[in-house]
Amino acid sequence: MKEIVLNQDLEYRCSSSEKELTFNVASNSDVSLLLSDIEEMELLNFEVSDNATLHLAIFAQKFLKNVKITANIGENSKIIVYFADFTVERNHLDASINLNKDNARAEWHLASLSTQKDDKEIAVNIYHNSPNTHGRIDNYGVCKENSKLIFAGISHIIKGCHQSTSHQNAKIVVFDDDCKAIARPILKIDENDIEASHAAVVGKVNDEHIFYLTSRGLSVEDAKLLITLGYLKPILKGFNEQVREQINSLIEGRL
Amino acid sequence: MATLKISDLHVEVEGKEILNGVTTQISEGETVALLGPNGHGKSTLLNVIMGHPRYKITQGTLLLDDVDITNMTTDERAKAGLFLALQNPAEVPGVINSDFLRAAVNATREEKVSTYKFYKMLDSATKELKMPFDLATRSLNEGFSGGEKKRNEILQLLLLEPKIAMLDEIDSGLDVDAIQIVADVIKKEEEKGMGFLVISHYARLFDLIKPTRAIVMINGRIVLDGDTSLIKRIDQTGYEFIKTELGIEIEKENANMNTVSIGTCAVKETIKK
Ligand SMILES: Nc1ncnc2c1ncn2[C@@H]1O[C@H](COP(=O)(O)OP(=O)(O)O)[C@@H](O)[C@H]1O
Ligand SMILES: [Mg+2]
Repeated sequence: MKEIVLNQDLEYRCSSSEKELTFNVASNSDVSLLLSDIEEMELLNFEVSDNATLHLAIFAQKFLKNVKITANIGENSKIIVYFADFTVERNHLDASINLNKDNARAEWHLASLSTQKDDKEIAVNIYHNSPNTHGRIDNYGVCKENSKLIFAGISHIIKGCHQSTSHQNAKIVVFDDDCKAIARPILKIDENDIEASHAAVVGKVNDEHIFYLTSRGLSVEDAKLLITLGYLKPILKGFNEQVREQINSLIEGRL
Repeated sequence: MATLKISDLHVEVEGKEILNGVTTQISEGETVALLGPNGHGKSTLLNVIMGHPRYKITQGTLLLDDVDITNMTTDERAKAGLFLALQNPAEVPGVINSDFLRAAVNATREEKVSTYKFYKMLDSATKELKMPFDLATRSLNEGFSGGEKKRNEILQLLLLEPKIAMLDEIDSGLDVDAIQIVADVIKKEEEKGMGFLVISHYARLFDLIKPTRAIVMINGRIVLDGDTSLIKRIDQTGYEFIKTELGIEIEKENANMNTVSIGTCAVKETIKK
């Protein structure tokens, strides 16, 4: 497997000849990685050593066959992921983050736009393998037309991993009756001394929200658009100006 | 001068009649106090005027400047100059307050305002309301305190400059200083010609805004329309005189009424007898 040592910020376009890639983040470093063109990938692995931070931004806009993301996070280290999923047709993604040592942290933010005949299944797992580890997952989706969007995944705090925290949030706004949208994050907890929460919401745009916005002069369509953008736009803060513009134009084109 | 005329309005929600023949009117430059025990249809009236789709008008008409708005959509009514500050403003996650405010400002004006002008308007309105500017950059009402939500409603009023503004319990959740700020805005806008229909359970707000008229809603109908001495009377003695003097039985009572508010104690006693 090809290995890349990250000791400075990097923008990396995957090439179609590579199927597996490992990124190593050295101890005591703080780096940003922007990944694109990951459609042909099968495995993306991240090794974050001790006292290090990886800011990972992934922008996917074609299809994803069956991509696996794995990450191992060391002591006092952190991975912060922003995943902008604007893939079409298919996205089967499985991400697993292992918090292996004391004070290892993971933050995962994903926004997914699913339209037409898209078929998306996104599982994000965080394994708390050490005490005092902290994980947070925020998956936001918009599901339209005949598409299918599933958010799954497990946050698992194993026995003995006290003082860990784990939060999961999965929200999908559904536009059409033919959509299939499911949010089923699972919390698996084998330890008492922890803090955990999870929320899963799948539903149409709230009527009271539409009334509120239209009572200020917005048309129903504009109100829905603004509310929907509210699900997707928060992902922008993980990206540079250039990618933000690309994402913005994709959103506007497809909504 | 803009006038909102409500004639013989009958309204149902989920098959239950809540308003049964409301007739009244509010003109620009006038402030009308709307009083009545909890659960008698005050909020319903305001929501119906704003065109809330959940309420069904079965009879009667709404006219604004002699234009029939009974069948207009909510956004058309907003553009025509109506505004409702909600009793419980919704939290809308992900929608940035300033994005929403700007969309609203542009929707209700003939000409779009420039980014520069919008931020100047926003800056001066937040200053007037002594609101931290940071509230404008956050998700709409999300995590706002009760008082911050109410100020955000008044911020929208200042930016949209409606002809007739309806305020539903705007003072609940506001501390004394904030009530004063809101009252100052109401007085200033009234002088400039805005009309107000104000629901409140507290004499304090009415003492500050000095309404021009007071109307009382009982059992889904306006049963009294008079000067502001009505507010004082209800504050001191409750709604019992309506039964004894007008012979109107006060039908129902909302379980979660506010016990320190105008008139509710008297209603409770009436019902117990
Ligand atoms: N959306 C609704 N669905 C069902 N009942 C409602 C709805 N809105 C109001 N009502 C009922 O209508 C009556 C009047 O309510 P409301 O207008 O909120 O009163 P007020 O503002 O005077 O306290 C109450 O009995 C209330 O339960
Ligand atoms: Mg009410």
